[in-house]
Amino acid sequence: MSRDSFHFDGNPIEFRDGQSVAAALTDAGQLALRRTAKGDPRGMFCGMGVCQECLVTIDGVPNRRACMTAAAKGLKIVPQIAFPVLEDMPAAQKPDPARILEPDVAIIGGGAGGLSAAIAARQAGASVIVLDERKVAGGQYYKQSASHPPLDAQQREGAALLKRAQESGADVLGSVEIWGAFDGPLFLADSEGAALIVRPKTAIIATGAYERPCMVPGWTLPGVMTTGAAQTLWRSYLTLPGKRIAICGSGPLNAQVALELAEGGADVAMVAEAARAPWRVPWHAFAALMADPGLVIKGLGMMRDLHRRGISLRHQTTLSRVDADGESLRATFKTASDEEIAETVDALCINSGFEPQNEILRLLGAKMTYDPAFGHLRCDRDTKMETSVRNIFAVGDCAGLGGAPAARVEGLIAGRVAAARAGFGDAHDLFSHQRRLARHRRFQASLWKMHDISPRTPDKAARDTIVCRCEEITLGDILDGLETSPGHVGTLKRATRVGMGRCQGRYCGPVATRLVAQTTGKPVDDFSNFAPRVPIKPVSIASILAAQEALDDPD
Amino acid sequence: MTPTDILVIGGGIVGQVTAIELAQAGARITVVDAGINAGSTANAGSLHVQMQSRFMRLYPDQVPNIEASLPLYCQAVEEWRRLDAAYGPFELVRKGGLMLAEDATQLAFLEKKAAREAKKGVSVEILDRPALERIVPWLGPQIIGAELCRNEGKVNPLAANTRLRAVADALGVRFEQDHIRTLSAGNRIVAIGDRDTYPADRVVVAAAWGAGALVQGLGVAIPSVAEPLHMNITEASSARIEHLVQHAERSITLKQFKTGQIVIGGGWSAQHRGALRVPAVAPSSLLGNVSLAAKLVPAIGHMRIIRTWAGMNTTIDGASVIGPLPANDRVVMAVPGDAGYTLGPLVAKLAASCLLGQPDHGVIDRYTPARFAV
Ligand SMILES: Cc1cc2nc3c(=O)[nH]c(=O)nc-3n(C[C@H](O)[C@H](O)[C@H](O)COP(=O)(O)OP(=O)(O)OC[C@H]3O[C@@H](n4cnc5c(N)ncnc54)[C@H](O)[C@@H]3O)c2cc1C
Ligand SMILES: Cc1cc2nc3c(=O)[nH]c(=O)nc-3n(C[C@H](O)[C@H](O)[C@H](O)COP(=O)(O)OP(=O)(O)OC[C@H]3O[C@@H](n4cnc5c(N)ncnc54)[C@H](O)[C@@H]3O)c2cc1C
Ligand code: FES
Repeated sequence: MSRDSFHFDGNPIEFRDGQSVAAALTDAGQLALRRTAKGDPRGMFCGMGVCQECLVTIDGVPNRRACMTAAAKGLKIVPQIAFPVLEDMPAAQKPDPARILEPDVAIIGGGAGGLSAAIAARQAGASVIVLDERKVAGGQYYKQSASHPPLDAQQREGAALLKRAQESGADVLGSVEIWGAFDGPLFLADSEGAALIVRPKTAIIATGAYERPCMVPGWTLPGVMTTGAAQTLWRSYLTLPGKRIAICGSGPLNAQVALELAEGGADVAMVAEAARAPWRVPWHAFAALMADPGLVIKGLGMMRDLHRRGISLRHQTTLSRVDADGESLRATFKTASDEEIAETVDALCINSGFEPQNEILRLLGAKMTYDPAFGHLRCDRDTKMETSVRNIFAVGDCAGLGGAPAARVEGLIAGRVAAARAGFGDAHDLFSHQRRLARHRRFQASLWKMHDISPRTPDKAARDTIVCRCEEITLGDILDGLETSPGHVGTLKRATRVGMGRCQGRYCGPVATRLVAQTTGKPVDDFSNFAPRVPIKPVSIASILAAQEALDDPD
Repeated sequence: MTPTDILVIGGGIVGQVTAIELAQAGARITVVDAGINAGSTANAGSLHVQMQSRFMRLYPDQVPNIEASLPLYCQAVEEWRRLDAAYGPFELVRKGGLMLAEDATQLAFLEKKAAREAKKGVSVEILDRPALERIVPWLGPQIIGAELCRNEGKVNPLAANTRLRAVADALGVRFEQDHIRTLSAGNRIVAIGDRDTYPADRVVVAAAWGAGALVQGLGVAIPSVAEPLHMNITEASSARIEHLVQHAERSITLKQFKTGQIVIGGGWSAQHRGALRVPAVAPSSLLGNVSLAAKLVPAIGHMRIIRTWAGMNTTIDGASVIGPLPANDRVVMAVPGDAGYTLGPLVAKLAASCLLGQPDHGVIDRYTPARFAV
C-alpha cells in the first residue's frame, strides 16, 4: 500500500495515518529539526509540547512543534531557522470564531487524574468539560494512539477509562492548549488556531508532570530525548527512536520503556540506573511490597525480563557526557566503581525524575511547599484536593509526583467535591477513596526511596554544559551571573537571560533556583522560582486577537 | 560597617547612575534597595521624546508643561548616548520613533503637534503612506501616515542595567538589600530599614514609587504613586522593525530588540497587589494590547507571545522631582517624570551635580521638590 507523504527540506517523507510530524521524521532517520541562534542542531526532546525544541516551519508558518502536529499529505516543512523573516510568512488567516464555554466543572488535563475526575463529577450530575492539549486524551501514563489498537494492558486500561469518560457525557476536547489562567477562574486556550474561552464554576487542574533531564555536556544533541518522548513515539505512533538505544537516569519508567522498545525491535544497549540495586536497600523494598505487592511483583518481573532479553541494567551508573559520533551518539557513563564506559547509540533516553506542571496552579495563586527530597514544589491541598484557592482543585502529578494510581483516586475525590461545590451531589463518604489513596502514597514513598531522583546541580567543573537550552546559557554563564546578581532567580534571569526562552525556564529554572539558594544560603520555597506568568505556553498573536474579538463581542 | 558619605535609596536606573557619578567623584556610596518592583528592571527601554497626543487631548491644560519639558527629553537621549559610549553597548538604536495615524483627523493633529515640537528643537517630520512604506513596509493598510521623531530610539534595559551594575561594583559602590521605613534627620541622616539602619552624611532618594513615603516627615508631600503596567514579548524573528512604533490615539509601543524579539507595551494597566508584591497580569490588558499590535502590524500575526509581565511604574505629576528638600538640603530627591527610564540617567546626573555643588544653570529649578512643600 502506498503511503502518503509530506516534504521536509525538499525530500518526500512518508508517514502512517495518525503519526505526528516528529514521529514520521524520526522514522525517516531525520533527528535534527532546526538550528539555534548559535548554529547548534536540535531535535525532538520532550515529545510532549513542553520543550519547544522540535520547531519547524510548516507551509511558511514558523515555530510549529513537530511533536504536537499531525502529519498531513503535502505539507511543505523546512527546518526552523533562528530568525524567521516576517515578510516571508503567509498572511495570518482569520481563525474560526472563538468559543465560550461555561461548564460547572472544567478539568484541565485528560490523563489518569483528569479523566477520573470527569467521570466522578459527571456522575454527580455536573456539566463537565475536559481540555487536553494532545489530540487524544489519556495522558502520559496511558499514552493513547490516534490510529492503532492498544498495545498492552496499560493502554487498554487507558482506552477504557477514556471511553467511560466520554460515555459519562463529559465533553472531552483534544488539541486544546490552555495558555492563560486568571482569577475567576478564566482560562484562555488555543484550539488549532481558534480561541477557546472557558469560565467554569469550579476547576480541577490535572496537568501532570514533565521529565527532569540530567544536564551533562551534549545533552542538547539531536537524538538525546526524554524517556517519555521515546515512549510516546512507540506507544502513540509505533515509531522507534532509533535502532540502538541506551536509557539512563533513575526510576521505574526507564526499565519499562527499555522493555517496550526492545519488544518493538530496538536494540537496547543498556539501562543505567543512578540508584543502588533494590537488594541493597531491602527495607524500602519491603515497605513497597507491603504497600502494593502487585506493583512490586510487576517491577521484579521487569527486571527479570530485562535479564532475559540480555539488556544490562547497571545500578549506580550515571551519564557523564554525550558526543556526536558521525550519525550516531557516543554516550559516556560513570559506573559504581568510577569506571568510564561508553556506548554508541542512535538515541539516548533520559529520565532523572519529574517536575510537576504546576504553572496554572501557581498563576491562580495556589500555595506551594518545596519538597527537598523530590526537588520540586508540592501544591498545598486539603483532603478533598482543594488548593488554597477556593473552587480550584489539583489532582495527580501537577500537585507533586504521586503516580497514576494515586492520580485516579485523587480525581475521583476532586470530581465529587467540585461537582458538589457547583450544586450537584453531596460528596460524602469519601472514606474508602481516602484509604486507597493513603496506600498508593505509601507505595510511592518507598518506591522513590529505592531510586535516586534527588535534585542535582550539574558538575561545576563542566562550565560549558548548557543549562538553559532555549537561550543557550551555560553553567559557566550562570556561575558568573551568580557572582554579580545573586539574590533571586529573577535577577539572575535578567542578568544572564537564563529562563527567558520559549520553554519559560521549565528545565533550567529548577537548577538555577537551586544554584541561587546555594549561593544565598536561603532555602528554596514557593517564591524562590521565576514568577509565574502567562502565557503558559507560547501563543500566536492571531489567536490572542481572536480571543479579544470574541470577548469584545457583546453577543 | 564602613562609613558612608552618601546613601542612595533605590537601585533602579536613577540610583545606579547617581551612585556611579558620585563614586567617580570620590564619595563612598551605599545603595540600599528593597529588591522589588523596580520599574527599571521591567521597562521596555523606549527612549521617548515626542509628546503623546492622547495625553494632550486628555489634559490640554498640562500641554504647556510637557512642551516646556521637551528639551529635557532631547537632552536625556543624549545622556543615554554618552553612557552607551562610556559603558555600553546597551543595544542603543536611534532610528527614530513613528506615531501612526489611521485617519485624517489623527494626521491633522500630528501635523499641529509636530509644528510645536519643531519649535522646541525636536527633529520631526510628517510622512505620508508612500513615504512610510519606503521605511516600514510591514504596516497595516489602514495606516495613512505618521509623525517621525528622529530623536527617539531604544535601548535594551537588561543590558544597560547589568553593565551599569558592574560599573558601580567596580567603583566600590556597596549594595544592600533592605526596605527603608523612615528617614530621621539629626546630626547625620539615619535611614531605618527592616533589617538594619544606615547613617549617612547625605541621602539621595531615588526610590520612585517609594519616594513620597520616605520624605513624608521632612516638610514635603510628594504624591508618588505605584502604577502597575503590562508588557509582552514575542519569540525572535529577523530584526526588521528598527523604529519605536506608537499610535496617535491609542496606547501602544512596539519595537524589536537586537535578540529579534518584538516587545509590545505602552502603558496598559496590570493588577495591583501592593507595592511590595509583584503585580499580576490583567487578561484585558494582554488581549487589548496584543490585539492592537496585531492590527497595526499584521505581519506579526504568526509570531507567538512567549511571556508577559507586569512591572511597577511611578507617577507623580508628570514632571521629574530633582534637588534638595526645602527643609533639609542634605536630602536630595531624584525621581524622574513620565518616561522615567529615558529620563533616568539625566535625572541622576542632575541630582549628583547638585550634591557635588556643581552648577546646573537653573535646569532643575522647574523640578524642585519645593513645589510639594507643606
Ligand atoms: C527588556 C526586557 C526584556 C525581557 N525579555 C524577556 C524575555 O525574552 N523572556 C522572558 O521570559 N522574560 C523577559 N523579560 C521579563 C523579565 O525577566 C521579568 O519577567 C520582568 O522583569 C518582570 O519580572 P517578573 O514578573 O518575571 O518577576 P521575576 O523577576 O521573576 O520576580 C520574581 C518575583 O516573583 C515572586 N514570585 C515567585 N513565585 C511567585 C508566586 N507564585 N506568586 C507571586 N509571586 C511570586 C518572587 O518572590 C519574586 O519577587 C524581559 C524584561 C525586560 C525588562
Ligand atoms: C512595564 C513598564 C514599562 C515601561 N516602559 C518604559 C519605557 O519604555 N521608556 C521609559 O522611558 N520608561 C518606561 N517605564 C518607566 C520606567 O521604567 C521608570 O520610570 C524608571 O525605570 C524609574 O527608574 P527609577 O530608578 O526612578 O526607579 P525604579 O527603577 O522603579 O527603582 C526604584 C527602586 O527603589 C526601591 N524602593 C522603593 N521604596 C524603597 C524603600 N522605602 N526602601 C528601599 N528601596 C525602595 C524599589 O524597590 C526599586 O528597586 C516603564 C515602566 C514600566 C513599569
Ligand atoms: S519535543 Fe516538541 S515540544 Fe518538546
